[in-house]
Amino acid sequence: MKNIYIFLLMLTAVLLCSCSQAAASQGPTIRMAYLQNDIHHLPLWVALEKGYFQKLEVDIQIEGVFKAGPEIMSAFAARALDMAYVGESPATTAVANGAAKVLAVSQVNTEGSAIVVKKDSQLSTLSELKGKTIAVPGHSTVQDFLLRKGLSQKEIPLKDLNIIVLKPPEMITALDHNQIDAFIAWEPYPSQSQTLGIGRNLATSRELWPNHPCCVIVASKKYTKNHQDKVKAVVQANIQAINFIEQNPEKAAQIALQYTGMRIETITRAMQNVHYTAKLNKQGELEYVQFLTKLGYINLSDPERFVQTFVNSTFLNQCTF
Amino acid sequence: MKLTQFLLPIVLIICWQTASLLQIVPTYKFPSPLQIIYGFKDLIVIGMPPGHHLQYHILYSLYRVFWGYITAIILAIPLGILLGWSNRLRLLLQPILELIRPIPPLAWIPIAILWFGIGIKSAAFIIFLGAFFPILLNTISGVLSIEHILIEAARTLHASTKDIFFKILIPGSIPSILTGMRIGVGIGWMTLVAAEFTGVKQGYGLGYMIMTARDIHRPDEILAGMFLIGLIGFLIDIGLRLVERKLVQWK
Repeated sequence: MKNIYIFLLMLTAVLLCSCSQAAASQGPTIRMAYLQNDIHHLPLWVALEKGYFQKLEVDIQIEGVFKAGPEIMSAFAARALDMAYVGESPATTAVANGAAKVLAVSQVNTEGSAIVVKKDSQLSTLSELKGKTIAVPGHSTVQDFLLRKGLSQKEIPLKDLNIIVLKPPEMITALDHNQIDAFIAWEPYPSQSQTLGIGRNLATSRELWPNHPCCVIVASKKYTKNHQDKVKAVVQANIQAINFIEQNPEKAAQIALQYTGMRIETITRAMQNVHYTAKLNKQGELEYVQFLTKLGYINLSDPERFVQTFVNSTFLNQCTF
Repeated sequence: MKLTQFLLPIVLIICWQTASLLQIVPTYKFPSPLQIIYGFKDLIVIGMPPGHHLQYHILYSLYRVFWGYITAIILAIPLGILLGWSNRLRLLLQPILELIRPIPPLAWIPIAILWFGIGIKSAAFIIFLGAFFPILLNTISGVLSIEHILIEAARTLHASTKDIFFKILIPGSIPSILTGMRIGVGIGWMTLVAAEFTGVKQGYGLGYMIMTARDIHRPDEILAGMFLIGLIGFLIDIGLRLVERKLVQWK
């Protein structure tokens, strides 16, 4: 009997230790992730297709294409990623709750989401969403955040909303079958619902919060510490890609087509709703932190200090625009 | 024996807490027992997502299981008795049932959402599938296990088919049916949590709660939710065991 106890104790010790040392080795290859069909992440696709990363001598390995931001942040917590394109809201939540240790090293886009209702829906203003069922891609995603912030600005108490989680590809079908009254998603899903003749925009996120920060490039603190040059190169490639999108929107749309498989009219419509920019916005991040705290998702003693460390413009300042 | 039974979990919990305190294990991946207790408190007081309290998550989950499970019982027991009784019917239906049985209930989720939407019906359907087959198969084998000599004897005594059905077949197969019901509710409960992962219309449910805690990165609440799911499943099983003991005292 005694032997069994010793064995079990050793087994537990081994399990616990292996759990704490699960970190994989960090080579110069950057383990990168992005969101499925999220046109906000077009600069990454452009940089990959145009070979910007190779030119700057960074080796990018796509480790995963995720369905929502919180999943990407869980992968950071498991130390399975070095960098990712992800929404500012899930990144903030994960860092503030101690799950992942990452820095926001560059903005990717502002705006670019929309609240969609059925084409023939009676709903015409945000205030009418009171008491309705609205789908979001996940709790603490940028869209969840925008919806709650937008509606609380309209003085609709959040308890009067039935917010549910659906993955963006399922939202259009759910709307079509009247299982939800509205959804909020990243582009190109709002545009796709219009191309398919199912939905129409009730409000774009620009109307909810003009110029709101959306996706950022995050880098794990550990990777940043060891490979500053690589992180800087990714930030630089992102800027080049944004310039390319601005100058060649049609060619960029073709790349988006390749990565999303959606129709070109969907892509073009979607791109009009997104503003690509690399400039980080600390004031915007502070608004995220304050509202996420108000929602009870995070609990920070010093929000300002959090923003100062989380939003890191060091690499951006070294880049050429 | 009793003491050693409790000793091991206690020793493990103490080791676990100590390992967390000494920071051998990262608390993000493996919250300490104390953190889990605080997480449990937050689930009750604050709720996950905030404002959605634990008690409602439990109620909604139980509600879904109730409907799926009741439907499974209502359909599986009579069908099982019929199939046990009639060889011809059993041979006729067996290929279809054997084909559907190995499909994991979770593989039905996409089609269930298409058929029934994201409300109670699709969740209940998934639970129904999880619970239906164990009850059906146990009912059939319960009927088949009744010694043929009993039925023959009843026939010689001029018992009607109705009497044979209600006085021999049903009471005789009850122990096996109850076992099937216990297995069925266990599988139904397990399936429920996964069914709620894919999205629920009401915004409540223990599976949904765990997924939300994942989104907001609260592993303490994830683990608290997992323990609760285990505990409720355990309590349901104890309840059914008590019913079983009452109903089959003669055995």
